[in-house]
Amino acid sequence: MTPSAPGSLVARAHPFTSLTVTLAVVVLAFLLPASIGPVVLALLAIAVAAVVGDPASLTPSLIIVVPLWLLLLLVQGVLGDAPFTTWGPLTLSIGGLDEALAQGARLTAIVVASMLALRGFRASRFVDAAAERRWPFSAAYLVAATLQTIPRLRQRVTLIRDAQRSRGLRVQGSIVQRVTALVPLTLPLILGALADTDDRAVALEGRAIAAVTAPGARRTPLAPPVDTVVDRVVRWGSVLAVAVAIIWRITR
Amino acid sequence: MNTRLLALVPTCIALNVAMGKIVQELGLPIYLDSVGTILVTTLLGPWAGVLTGALSQVLTALLSGQMMWLAFLPIQVLIVLVAAAAAGRSGFRTIVRAVGWGAFCGLLGGTLSSVIAYSLFKGVTAPGVTALGALFRSLGLSLERAVTLASISTDLVDKGIAFGLVAAVLLALPARMASRFPIAVDAVGRRA
Repeated sequence: MTPSAPGSLVARAHPFTSLTVTLAVVVLAFLLPASIGPVVLALLAIAVAAVVGDPASLTPSLIIVVPLWLLLLLVQGVLGDAPFTTWGPLTLSIGGLDEALAQGARLTAIVVASMLALRGFRASRFVDAAAERRWPFSAAYLVAATLQTIPRLRQRVTLIRDAQRSRGLRVQGSIVQRVTALVPLTLPLILGALADTDDRAVALEGRAIAAVTAPGARRTPLAPPVDTVVDRVVRWGSVLAVAVAIIWRITR
Repeated sequence: MNTRLLALVPTCIALNVAMGKIVQELGLPIYLDSVGTILVTTLLGPWAGVLTGALSQVLTALLSGQMMWLAFLPIQVLIVLVAAAAAGRSGFRTIVRAVGWGAFCGLLGGTLSSVIAYSLFKGVTAPGVTALGALFRSLGLSLERAVTLASISTDLVDKGIAFGLVAAVLLALPARMASRFPIAVDAVGRRA
C-alpha cells in the first residue's frame, strides 16, 4: 500500500484522530437509518477523501468496493425474493435492490474511511503517540513489531516457494497437488519464524525490556506527533456523533 | 508481559497474514488466517491466543483498508477456546485428531460467522464464501440457509487444515524448543 504524501492532511493528523474517525464511520454505517443514512455517510466519506484528505486513496477503495457492489447486486438483486422489477435484460428483486443499496453504501463508507486512515498511518508516529499517552510499552511494541514482521515473513514465503520449486515442488495443478504443497511451504516458514523468536527474545532482554515494561516505567518519545485543537475537536465530534446515533437508535 | 510473549505474538500475527499469501499463491479457496492464533494458543495458552487473535483481526482490518472485518473478532476468540480445549486434551497428538478438532472448530465458527455475515453484511463478505453462498441461493435455498451452509462448509475445510498444519508443526518441533512450551508438550501428548 502506497502511503499518502507526507504533507497531506491525513498524514499530518494525529494518529489517534484518523483511527477514531474510521471507527466512528464503521459504527455509524450500521447505526444510521437505511438507505439514506449510509448513502449520505458514503458520499461524505468520498467528499472528505477527495477534497481535504487524500484523493489517491479513492483508487484502491474502488478496487475493493466494486466487487462488493457486484456481489450484493447478485445476491440481493438477482437472487432476491419477490416482488420483482425489470431492469433491461435483468429481473431484479425490489426489496433486494434496497438492501443492496444500503449495504453497498455502508461498505463504501467504511472502505473509503479505512483506506484514508491506512494511507496516513505511520507505525513510528503511532508508537510515539502511544508512548506520550503513557500506554504500556508492550502494547505499542506489539503493534510496531508486528508491522515490521509482516513484510519479512511475506518475503520469506517467496524465498521458501522458490527453494522448494527448485527441488521439484509443484505449486500448480489439481487441488490435491496444491493442498499437498501446503506442508513443504508452511512448515519451514513456521519453524523458521519460531526459531527467530528466540533471537528476538534475547535481543529484547539485552536491551533491558524488563525495565521498560515494569509497572510505572515510562518511555519518553523524542518528537511525539502534535495533537492540535482541530484533532481534538474532530475526535470528540466523532465520539459525539456515535453517541447521538446510539441514543437515537434506542429511543426511536 | 513476559519477553517470550512479546517476541512470539508479533510473529504469530504476521504468520496469520503470511499464510494468506501462501494460499493465494497456491490458488486455494481457503484462508488459513488463524494458523498463528492456533499455534500461539498451543504454545503459550489461551490468553496469548486471545491477544494474538484480537490484534491480528484489528491489524488485518486496518492493513486491508476494510475495517468492517472487525465484526468477525468473536470468531478469533472462539478459535482460541477450541484450540485451548484441544491442546488440553492432547488434540494435536496426531494430524488426523487435530483435523477432527479443526472440523469441530469450523462447525462452531462457521455457524457464528454466518450469523455475523447475514445480520451485518447481508451475506456478502469474502469473495470465495460469497460465491458459494450465491451458488446455494441459486439452488433455491433461502438467503439465511445459503449463507449458513456456505460459512460452515468453508470453515470446516479451513479450520480442519489449519489445525492439521499446527499439529504438523508441533510434532516437528525440535525437542529442545518444545521443552520450553509445556502446553505444546501436553498438546501433542508427549507427557502421557
